[in-house]
Amino acid sequence: MVIIMKKFSQMAIPYIVWSVLMLVLPMALIAFYSITQQGNSIISFSITLEHYIKFFTDADFLIILWRSLWIAFKTTIICLLIGYPVAYYISHCKERMQNILVFCITMPMWINMLVRTYAWIGLLSKDGLMQKLLSLLGLGNAELLYTEGAVLLGMVYNFLPFMILQINTTLCKMDDSLLEASADLGADPVQTFYRVTLPLSIPGVINGITLVFLPAVSSFFIPKLLGGGKYFLIGNVIENQFITVGEWNFGSAISMIIAVIMMVLMMCVHKAEVRNNGGKGET
Amino acid sequence: MKKKKRPVLKALMILMIVFFYLPILYMIVFSFNDGKSLTAFTGFSLRWYQHMLETGGMLEALYTTFSVAVIASVVSTAVGTFTAIGLSKSKKIIRDLMEQVDNLPMMNPEIVTAIGLMLLFITFRVEKGYMTMLLSHIAFCIPYVILSVMPKIRSLDPDLADAAMDLGATPWQALIKVIIPQIMPGIVSGGLIAFTMSVDDFIISYFVTGGGVKNLSIMVYTMSRRINPSINAASTLMIGIITIVLVTINLVPLLAAKKQKSMKAGKKILIPAAAVCACAAGCILFFRFGDMQGKRPFEGQILHIYNWGEYTGENIIGDFEEYTGAKVIMENYDSNEQMYIKVANEEPYDILVPSDYMIQRLIAEGYLQKLDQSKLNCMDKLSDAVKGLPYDPQNEYSIPYFWGTVGIVYDKNKVDLESLEQEGYNIFLNEKYQGDIYLYDSERDSFMMALKALGYSMNTENPKELSEAYEWLAGCVKTMKPEIVTDEIIDNMAQGRRALGLMYSGDAAYVVSENENMGFYLPKSGTNLWSDAMVIPRNAKNPELAHAFINFACDYEGAYDNSSYVGYTSANQEVMEVLSGPGGDFEGINAYIPRTGYGLDEVFVYNEKTRKEISNMWSRVKIVASNAN
Repeated sequence: MVIIMKKFSQMAIPYIVWSVLMLVLPMALIAFYSITQQGNSIISFSITLEHYIKFFTDADFLIILWRSLWIAFKTTIICLLIGYPVAYYISHCKERMQNILVFCITMPMWINMLVRTYAWIGLLSKDGLMQKLLSLLGLGNAELLYTEGAVLLGMVYNFLPFMILQINTTLCKMDDSLLEASADLGADPVQTFYRVTLPLSIPGVINGITLVFLPAVSSFFIPKLLGGGKYFLIGNVIENQFITVGEWNFGSAISMIIAVIMMVLMMCVHKAEVRNNGGKGET
Repeated sequence: MKKKKRPVLKALMILMIVFFYLPILYMIVFSFNDGKSLTAFTGFSLRWYQHMLETGGMLEALYTTFSVAVIASVVSTAVGTFTAIGLSKSKKIIRDLMEQVDNLPMMNPEIVTAIGLMLLFITFRVEKGYMTMLLSHIAFCIPYVILSVMPKIRSLDPDLADAAMDLGATPWQALIKVIIPQIMPGIVSGGLIAFTMSVDDFIISYFVTGGGVKNLSIMVYTMSRRINPSINAASTLMIGIITIVLVTINLVPLLAAKKQKSMKAGKKILIPAAAVCACAAGCILFFRFGDMQGKRPFEGQILHIYNWGEYTGENIIGDFEEYTGAKVIMENYDSNEQMYIKVANEEPYDILVPSDYMIQRLIAEGYLQKLDQSKLNCMDKLSDAVKGLPYDPQNEYSIPYFWGTVGIVYDKNKVDLESLEQEGYNIFLNEKYQGDIYLYDSERDSFMMALKALGYSMNTENPKELSEAYEWLAGCVKTMKPEIVTDEIIDNMAQGRRALGLMYSGDAAYVVSENENMGFYLPKSGTNLWSDAMVIPRNAKNPELAHAFINFACDYEGAYDNSSYVGYTSANQEVMEVLSGPGGDFEGINAYIPRTGYGLDEVFVYNEKTRKEISNMWSRVKIVASNAN
């Protein structure tokens, strides 16, 4: 028995080495670059906090950080408001229909995210289908492409499937007998939804929020493609530092800042989830 | 449960399906469009598919996308499965620690993971390319596989392996024959997740690739500035492949189940997995067939070109490949600075096409090699105006490619020439045109405009003048609300979407030739007389072939193809004359022939200190612009 344990547990060793190299070391490098002075060589460097100070003492960077968090928040809320009812509907279909619908929602994810975003350019551009549709509905001839609305739309379009699938998974796992029990005990469907279905689906909602918020905060190609050059998010600032300005140390510092913010946020969300579950257990 | 009709939810569901598929459908339809427009369907044609096949890069990108996805998902599924089994038998502390490490790529914003990997490869001098992309994909796929396999292992009876071994199986046999089949559903779904993640990835691939290796998403990202319906064609092809794969996955088990009802659950899932592999292998073979050709001087060799986006003619690359038998890998940049960073990081290219001041910098910092004049035959064909310029007085390092000026493109119906002549660049501060202007996202040209508007030299080193220029630009973006764009300016101005735009003369020539309502004006306060030239970096892998390409691009045919397609002024004197002469593509278009011999026009001179300042200030201008909205 012990021998088998040893034999099998050895299979994990190559990956442990690999993950130190490919997952831990890169993070360490970002941290290292973020606290050192300009200069690409590792041999000569000096420790400094100037990049962090530069970021936090500049109102313009802080505004962009705030805007990135804000638009990611809006994206998440919209995805939740649309995603939950859709997931709920799917979970109440017959099994065959469920499979078809889940397939329909997964299918676009197989097509590259960038390609899907690019597809919106034609739809939103001047004299494009969307604008014609809006003016037919009498909603004016507003410019659609290269606006904040376009960026928001692109984000919802790209990340909504994550939300739907996560919530749908938890809803499908839910035991139908719970709902029947609730009805037997005299709850009307609305009550059943608020007292049974909703609380039980919280883990899926939390996962969905994570999967939407995280990529939305740092996305840089959606603002670039659909927001034009005038809509900068924190991801664009990072890309700019690495690809055109060439200040890697500053770019690394911004990356560290965003990584830490996300980690703290995610920890808060998961803490809230644990507390929620604990509370339910007691009552 | 009681059945209920939920019309509102049903309507929402249908709306969602439309929402998800409308853009995809739109793209498929427009891939068959005869015209270049993305909004007006002018007739059915396969023109863009043909264009895609001819330019080659697209198929290459599709091949990269799928081969990386297949290899990465197979490798990460295998490694992830074994690791998960291994971890389940490891000490708790290791297991918990690894769970945390595994969470890194999932809990981190993708761009952070991407930058980490990029820094890793650069710090340890790993040459970026296909391998680094593959390794990175494997790295971010494995955690998903482990995450999907782990729960299946947990629900497994821990005594199962022992029982198998008590019955005489070796540990290996126990693993293969007992454990793996039991957790098969987890393995297959892990593999599918890995494949999806890999096909869908852009951010990580973008930062870790190099040497011209592109997948479809990088291709789209670097080409999307200018309308190019070939992207639609390539995307449609990709959608086709994906649909075939998905349909096979979903149909084969159904058919198999009908034939043989008693088949085991594990095998049922193996079939679609095998089907996916077979499809993928088919695709790879299909794309590889393109490479078979006969014998020529540079047969099978590779030329890496790093050039501006949309800066070569339709046929020159194909013709060069046919003529030499070599294969051209072209990568594009949209600023000199972007190119410089890659070159400074020792990425090996054979040909670069930087601008004047950047050539000066590359020479000064020792990144270029001297050209072997005995292998070149092109000096006599070049215009005198572009030979022996201050950045390379003897043309020891560079052979001019395109040249021109920077000026104002204006809509004749909205802007009258008189006020333009009066105000010069200051028309970009005239609130009459608020929200109706484009700036070009180039630090040096934007500062050139500001400095010239203020009456200074564009090569000034005076900090006071530079900060005045910054204020000029910051004021412009705050009050005028311009859009700061790159190459999308070309199509948008050609369609007359803005009254004013700062543009390169070559792009202006294209705009004016497309739309007769547009005009091109060079302010009297002077402009930037620029030229882009071909150079060979010191670390080029194939300088011989690079020289052959320089000759080819300077020849009449090559230069004609380049200039007539791109619209920039050719460095080849004869081509310039023919194209601007009677019956030429740019007959009567003032933007095509650059203004020469005007005292206030300048050539950019490289200066490290001001460059850095300008670069930082321009980055700030863009942030100010973004925050002004």
